[in-house]
Amino acid sequence: MKKSRLRFIAPIAVVTALALAGCSTSNLGGSSPADPAGDSGPIKIGAVLDVTGVGASLGVPEQNTLTMLAKQLNADGGIGGRDVELIILDDQSTEDGAAKATSKLIESEKVDIIIGASRTGPSLAMRPLAEAAKIPLISVAANVAIVADSQWVFKTTQNDVSVLETILNDAQKKGYTKLALVRDATGFGEGIADYITQLGADRGITLVTTESFEPSATDFTPQMTNVRGSDADAVIIWGINPSAGLAQKAYVQLGVNKPVYHSHGIANKAFFDTAGDAANGAIAAMGRLLVTDQLPADNPQRQVIEKFQADYSAAYGEQPSTFGGHAFDAWHIAVNAIDAVGTDPAALRDELEKAEFTGISGVFKMTAKNHSGLDASALILAEAQDGRWNLLKD
Amino acid sequence: MLTDFLQLTVAGLSQGSVYALLAVGLIAVYTVRHVINIAQGEFAMLAGLGSAWLTASGMPLFLAILVAILTVTLVAIAMERLIIARVKKLTPLISIILTLGVSTLLQAIMLLIWGPEAKGVPRFPGTNVLIGGVSIRSQEFWMIGALVVVGGGIVLFYEKSRWGKALRACAEQPVAARIVGISPVAASVLAFAIAGLVGAVAGVVSSPIYLSLWSGGVLLGLKGFVAAVLGGFVSFRAAIVGALMLGMIEAYVAGYVASGLRDGAAFLILILVLVVRPQGLVLKPTAVRV
Repeated sequence: MKKSRLRFIAPIAVVTALALAGCSTSNLGGSSPADPAGDSGPIKIGAVLDVTGVGASLGVPEQNTLTMLAKQLNADGGIGGRDVELIILDDQSTEDGAAKATSKLIESEKVDIIIGASRTGPSLAMRPLAEAAKIPLISVAANVAIVADSQWVFKTTQNDVSVLETILNDAQKKGYTKLALVRDATGFGEGIADYITQLGADRGITLVTTESFEPSATDFTPQMTNVRGSDADAVIIWGINPSAGLAQKAYVQLGVNKPVYHSHGIANKAFFDTAGDAANGAIAAMGRLLVTDQLPADNPQRQVIEKFQADYSAAYGEQPSTFGGHAFDAWHIAVNAIDAVGTDPAALRDELEKAEFTGISGVFKMTAKNHSGLDASALILAEAQDGRWNLLKD
Repeated sequence: MLTDFLQLTVAGLSQGSVYALLAVGLIAVYTVRHVINIAQGEFAMLAGLGSAWLTASGMPLFLAILVAILTVTLVAIAMERLIIARVKKLTPLISIILTLGVSTLLQAIMLLIWGPEAKGVPRFPGTNVLIGGVSIRSQEFWMIGALVVVGGGIVLFYEKSRWGKALRACAEQPVAARIVGISPVAASVLAFAIAGLVGAVAGVVSSPIYLSLWSGGVLLGLKGFVAAVLGGFVSFRAAIVGALMLGMIEAYVAGYVASGLRDGAAFLILILVLVVRPQGLVLKPTAVRV
């Protein structure tokens, strides 16, 4: 009977593996019949977002924001009398999904400009396609590599380097000299250890240990055990929710008892939903959206942010997250540029390089050299306490 | 050093308890119906998301959990009655395709109802304890406790009770079992009910720490599958031991080697077992499959 058993289990294992590979297919993205590009008919804005998968806590508010803004714009008469058609595709938080969706937007939908993706990895997968097709792309992800030396790619999220500078300045002020890093294993966390080493050198800060986690990870005991055993003065957890929230929770539950910093990747409600009371005391570098009520009345961003918060909560019954803000900025920068020069790709690209916009994530000033438009002044530090963020400095 | 090792062991044992419950469900169904239930992991996610949703809408924690577990058990029975029982000639391959369909269907339903974001059940009552530098989260006691009570209860049920013996009879000698008056229909329903029950329990006890996600069942079910293979798909005890070992190996690999290799460890074990000991940990190579 040994043989029959062998024959039997092997195909099961194979089929199960195939099932695993093929199981994650779902598409919430809308689409519409292709329309030839031109100067008449609707202006087509494509978006590729992490609507499902590990980046969903980013992609969903981004999708909501873009949908809301497109409705508002069309209700107000569109751009120069032309309606705007928004086509959102779900990349399922994967690189290949993002590449496929981008090709579809460029080749069959013939969009005029693309927004996306939500995270660094998928954005990096989209970059060469946009560059080759010469279609402007505005990413809503963080890693500076997305726009480094790019011709056609821009982004609205604060640079990870600026975020690290903000965190390291605070660490230096508090006298921490040894840091541990627990980072996202995907593109978002790529290069962070090197940046800390470089930026830390001027500040007398060294990186003593680096741990990583997949964004789909659920157990963080191994990483936190290693951090607990290190001689670090403070820890940086660099990830997005829910994984970063789970990491924070494990961090507290395992009694690591070192001060902890987070990136701007966690600036949404999901952080509190996931980490609960364990969030208290965590310090994060982020934009100003979540601390608007604590800003000085004359802050230039305050009015923009409050209008966005009012519109978003009227439409969806909840407060917007930072990620909705990144999409808001990308949308307005795109629409302003189209409004100024139309849809000719080269003219649009040149206009984007001159874009100036007071938005949710900061006050943007794009240049030919800086396709991100923000510096460290776009960031603040805030401390988590009982489900809200308290502004530490501005 | 020892503290770290013990800390990883605790994490591995609690994670392994979840795999063990899923393996128990897989084996319960397989021994009676020779069905490999790909949807086993979805039972866990369905119960986790369901009870998270019920508690969020104001239901007391334990009532919500009870409702979720009962509902998922009924879903498993419905799956047996509406789908599995209707196939005249059920081969393992057809069973995989069918249950894969159910798995995809359940995922789609969860995505539509609860959206793409992960959700967690509130933490169960209890306090975290610190023993000699090793911190044990209260939820980890619940996870290990669930395996002891529910998993252990099912093993006892199979070995001691009349119904359990009837189920084993169906598995070992289906024709003889029918001759002596054991209903194959009832046996099959009972097996699926057990699968739904243990899957749901695994889902709710792990949800406070690991969260529940519409797409999270596939990987979880696969880990249960690896544990079931370690048990030769017949032995509950070997599968439970295998599941706990799998959980610990994953924790050690993540802690001492690299956290990215964690899931790889499970599949490496699967391949090694299939090549070296396809009959699982306990059976002699010549043993008759039951």
